[in-house]
Amino acid sequence: MKFRLLLTLSAVTLICVTTSSCYDQLNLENASTPLAFGMDLNEDNQLELYTSTPIFSKNIRKKSLEINATIRTLRQSKAVQNAQSPGSTQGRNFQVILVGKRLLQHEGWIQMLDVIFRDARNTVTDRVVAVDGALSEIMFLNPEDQPLLPVLLRGMITTSSDNAETVSTTAQELHRQYFEKGITPSISQVKVKDHKRILVTGTTLLTRKGRYAASLGYQESILLNTLQKKAKSGVSLTYSIPGKSKTGPFDTDTLSFTAQKIATKIKTSYQQSRFQFDIKLKIAADLTEVMFPYNVLRDNKQLEPIIAGLLKSQIEKLLKKFQRHNIDPVGFGLYARAYQYREYKKVQDRWAEALSDAVFHVSVEFDINAIGPVK
Amino acid sequence: MKKVYSGHEITSLQYIFLLSGIQVGVAVLSLPRKLAETAGTDGWISIIIGWLISTAASLIIVQIMKNSPNGSLPDWAAGVMGMWAGKAVAFLLALYFCFLLFDGLTKTVMITKIWLLPNTPSYIIMILLLVPTYMIARHGPRIVGRYCELIVYICLWIPIIYLIPLKHSHFLHLLPPLKEGWQPVLTGVKEIIYPSLGMVATFVLYPFLKHKEKAGAAVVASNTLTMASYLFITLICFVYYSPDEITEYNNPVISILKSIEFRFIERIEVPFIAFYLTVFSLVWIPAMYLTTFCSSWLFGRTDSRGHLRVLCIATAIATYFYTPTYRQNWVIEQILTAFGLGIEYIFPVLLLAFIAVHNRMRRS
Repeated sequence: MKFRLLLTLSAVTLICVTTSSCYDQLNLENASTPLAFGMDLNEDNQLELYTSTPIFSKNIRKKSLEINATIRTLRQSKAVQNAQSPGSTQGRNFQVILVGKRLLQHEGWIQMLDVIFRDARNTVTDRVVAVDGALSEIMFLNPEDQPLLPVLLRGMITTSSDNAETVSTTAQELHRQYFEKGITPSISQVKVKDHKRILVTGTTLLTRKGRYAASLGYQESILLNTLQKKAKSGVSLTYSIPGKSKTGPFDTDTLSFTAQKIATKIKTSYQQSRFQFDIKLKIAADLTEVMFPYNVLRDNKQLEPIIAGLLKSQIEKLLKKFQRHNIDPVGFGLYARAYQYREYKKVQDRWAEALSDAVFHVSVEFDINAIGPVK
Repeated sequence: MKKVYSGHEITSLQYIFLLSGIQVGVAVLSLPRKLAETAGTDGWISIIIGWLISTAASLIIVQIMKNSPNGSLPDWAAGVMGMWAGKAVAFLLALYFCFLLFDGLTKTVMITKIWLLPNTPSYIIMILLLVPTYMIARHGPRIVGRYCELIVYICLWIPIIYLIPLKHSHFLHLLPPLKEGWQPVLTGVKEIIYPSLGMVATFVLYPFLKHKEKAGAAVVASNTLTMASYLFITLICFVYYSPDEITEYNNPVISILKSIEFRFIERIEVPFIAFYLTVFSLVWIPAMYLTTFCSSWLFGRTDSRGHLRVLCIATAIATYFYTPTYRQNWVIEQILTAFGLGIEYIFPVLLLAFIAVHNRMRRS
């Protein structure tokens, strides 16, 4: 009995002694958690890293610490980051990943993000944002009347993408768009205006390998989201109605509406050795702003086809733009794979080129649901 | 030998959960990737075929055990073919369960290291895992069964979380069905072997069953439960990840959790993996008991606790000197799959044929 007790006790002691220390312990005071990181190229085409870390201290007026260094890879940069920050750098809470315009002129930068996915401790829900301009400008801007840059950017991207005015591409989503052969990546775009204001300007479209291809404004971004079936009810579009007169400097010929129901149908076929896409868009909307005299009962039937026509021509222009740049941000390749697998399989490795040869048939049906409380 | 089994009866429900637990455990994590590698997005059809095959194999095992209602397979073999046959069977089963146990434990340690504690040495994680294992396994099948039942109940909410990524799903990935015909789908069935290993636990657990007449229904139920969870998780991974992308992830079942965003918690996968350790334990805790049961039988002992202690300490010491790398883990898995194919599918069929011949010869 005594022997057993002794044995148990010694086993317990041994286990306590060997396993009680936690090797991965990190006190919060010793951690420094950058909320944003950015990559850009400098004039000599060297990779530059920027991070923005919040500083929690009463006596420091500036609330964040920005680090800038020339690096080879992201993981290798950890030493440089540690050397410049008060604590051990942790990549666990990134809100946004910024990429500069010079970087986007080159292919292959998405591969540089490998550590984000390979190190399991990194977050993958950080939004990827293209900066239209130099990254140094936006990182060191620190406007006094705005929250910390990462928080500000994340907030702007979230609200804009909720209204479909830009895409909401997380690192995870970028990974998907990069590896999926039937789609090309698209990320949010911001820029610094007049060296003091940061604003979201729409969407940056990338080629299959990640090189910059084209940009979309708000309205085009909404249409892109609509084609991707990501636009929710509540998105707002504005059009100038042809034939209505302008008054002086004011655009009194315009009309705005808020879409209540959006239904996008995409059908695929393969004819005459080209892919054919039938895109049927059905929008039921409330008019929210009409600048010209308008009679509901009489003009309704006239106005609906006019708006439908405007939508149609803008979508067609957008599709032409995609084809011209050899990109497929909508993901038509997914439809081609699902419905025309045999033909798709032949061209899947150069899908974007195959798409530039495709034929689109767009038809738009537009219904006015409500006109608001005034006639 | 009869004394061993009384007082340790397990209910049908515990039996179902025991079997499903050993099957699901760590195997589910990489299943969607493996299916995608061999069968593309049609891999989910392979699961249904695999389900039919493993249900048939389980029923054969139950059929064999009907010949031995009061003893485990080694008992029966010793009775029919002599002591040495019994010892051979016990040795084979002990070795097999030991493999299953080792695979489960090393995989768990590896996942814990990757996702939770990258700087902590493996042997410390191993010791921490072995302490509760010993505490549960030493009480015998009834407590192990109750443990499995408890874990299944407290895991019932997990599927709900997996519905959240459906927000970003693309059902187009699943079309067209049978992209490349039946051939890849049938090749994919071999990926189901590894995740359905564990059915042979019946060879040991059968005499412990309270309602032996329900054993057939119970193995069908447990296989259905296993395959339903595989189908659910595989389909979710397939519609979430692009078919070109899913093969990039080692354990898509865990990686998919990273994309879930809650306002109040970032990196939701961290508490999840910590919680998953209980699910993984459904492999090695029963396997630990089964191993020591068979090894004790081999030495003619009725109390398996001595062997359990030795096994725990040996595992801990072995991990201190040697931890399998990712590549070696893969090799272990391949060996286990081949071993399992032999012992869970081929061996029972041969044994059933032998029994049929044996019974006929005895009658005539």
